[in-house]
Amino acid sequence: MKRLQGLLRTVGIDPERLHFYNLSAAMGPRWAEICNEFSEKIIKLGPSPIWLARQKKKATTEHDE
Amino acid sequence: MIVGEQKPLEEIWEMVKRHKQLTVFGCNTCVAVCHQGGNKEAGILASLLRMKAVQEEVDIDIVDSGIERQCEHEFFDSVRDLMSRSEAVLSLACGIGVQFVATKYETMPVYPALNTTFLGDVIAVGHFTEKCQACGDCVLGLTGGVCPVSRCCKRLSNGPCGGSSNGKCEISKEIDCAWQLIVDRLEALGRLDDYEKIPPLKDWSKDRAGGPRSFKLEGI
Amino acid sequence: MTVDVKTNSRLEKVLKSGQLAVTSECGPPRSSAPEGIIKKGELIKNHVDVINVTDNQTSVTRLCSLAACVHLKLQGLDPVLQMVVRDRNRIALQSDILGAASFGISNILCLSGDHQSFGDNPQAQNVFDIDSMQLVQTVRRMRDEGKFLSGDEIKVPPNMFVGAAANPFADPFKIRVPRLAKKVAAGAEFIQTQCIYNVDKFELWMEQVRDRGLHEKVFILAGITPMRSVGMAKYLRKSVPGMDVPEALINRMAGVEKEKQAAEGITIAVETIQRLKEVKGVAGFHIMAIEWEEKVPEIVERAGLFPRPVID
Repeated sequence: MKRLQGLLRTVGIDPERLHFYNLSAAMGPRWAEICNEFSEKIIKLGPSPIWLARQKKKATTEHDE
Repeated sequence: MIVGEQKPLEEIWEMVKRHKQLTVFGCNTCVAVCHQGGNKEAGILASLLRMKAVQEEVDIDIVDSGIERQCEHEFFDSVRDLMSRSEAVLSLACGIGVQFVATKYETMPVYPALNTTFLGDVIAVGHFTEKCQACGDCVLGLTGGVCPVSRCCKRLSNGPCGGSSNGKCEISKEIDCAWQLIVDRLEALGRLDDYEKIPPLKDWSKDRAGGPRSFKLEGI
Repeated sequence: MTVDVKTNSRLEKVLKSGQLAVTSECGPPRSSAPEGIIKKGELIKNHVDVINVTDNQTSVTRLCSLAACVHLKLQGLDPVLQMVVRDRNRIALQSDILGAASFGISNILCLSGDHQSFGDNPQAQNVFDIDSMQLVQTVRRMRDEGKFLSGDEIKVPPNMFVGAAANPFADPFKIRVPRLAKKVAAGAEFIQTQCIYNVDKFELWMEQVRDRGLHEKVFILAGITPMRSVGMAKYLRKSVPGMDVPEALINRMAGVEKEKQAAEGITIAVETIQRLKEVKGVAGFHIMAIEWEEKVPEIVERAGLFPRPVID
């Protein structure tokens, strides 16, 4: 995971956006917990540079049309 | 095997960003062993470059692919189509592969994604060390199987120099003194007397100094 | 007294006449002005038999040894051309040997050379076409057979007294005497050792040297470098490869107040020389006081090695 986080950093993406969790199919509650925790974290981090760039591109393309 | 290290992403990006289409091309032999240039790494690198392209608003279509070896013609058969559709190739092969692609596809720009660094072995998983300089005149039989050309920082034929300290080279504690290793090996082989033999001067014309080398088998 | 010598070297004459020889060394400036090296030569010329001139020591670019030797020779001194194999291939080495000989320079010391990573151009290529041992062989072949390495004849062969370095304190110790034997077999006529602080270890090395009779085949000059401070002593022990500075010596230097440490260092150097005079096989002393050349006369005099023998 460290390696992938390092690679993300090289393209300007916050490595905190990537995390690996290990759990079994029986761990339902923990799964829900993780989903909530991580979603909150990502919302706090805000849109990623990739999303922003894509939005910008979409806007300029629409504008051109 | 040949060992290389991927260039920094910025450096690679600067080389390729001018193109509208790029094929990121892996080589699955030597440089895959050191996890720098294999087909898997080509996929990862292509992904990173796409992310860069989106953020910098550069319009470039990046495709990733790879073959077993980029230094022999037969392996390129499977990618004939791909190459004809490519505007530029970013080769993850060692310098040999990059040049092979450049020669094979005369009008196609080819860029190296790796810095080819040395010929070496895998002493432990993920740990590669230089062992051979391809000097063309192997003396390993005289030095107990330790190469003074590639492993002595001064490539001495009659080492060690006065800087050898605790089995390490004067330039770094990370580097073993090759001549300490040679002496230890000769001793283990019961051939320490060989140490006092002075070999003839090295013929560097068989090395790089004599010009680029080639080898052609007769009768093939 | 007539002594049977091969060259015009003062060093060869003193050594072969059975007297203890004294040599020293100085480093050329990082400039095209030769005054500095000439001045250093003047300071010590009456207290030594010959003077070594270092060759881009520590891989730091300086005025070349050959040119500096020429300047000293023109001042009437007898210089030793130190030649490293790090920066020149066999063509340049043979060429420089002829160049030096053309000015009457009569001594050469063949060395490997510190790796370029220590110096001011760590990005430079290094040469190491031949090594120091092979350089010794080369000079001897040029002088005694009158031939280049290629086998071509040299009309007027260079007539130089050939030396090499030895380091009894480098690793591995077990081959340090065989290594000396190799240099003797290669043709070295004199040896200058790395500077000695661990006299016990040096005496052990000398014992093994004598066991093989090497002291009768080559003249061994013991290296002496006076310490200027306890800081220098610690630095030598910690940061210079192949250097052996015993704890007792560091303590001795530390036990003296700062202003008196330099004088203590000189005293230690003199004492070391006195002790080594008693060691069989030591043919002389090589006093290295780089950037402290003005102390050489005092050391030589206090060690009872002054005046230097008059040789014709």
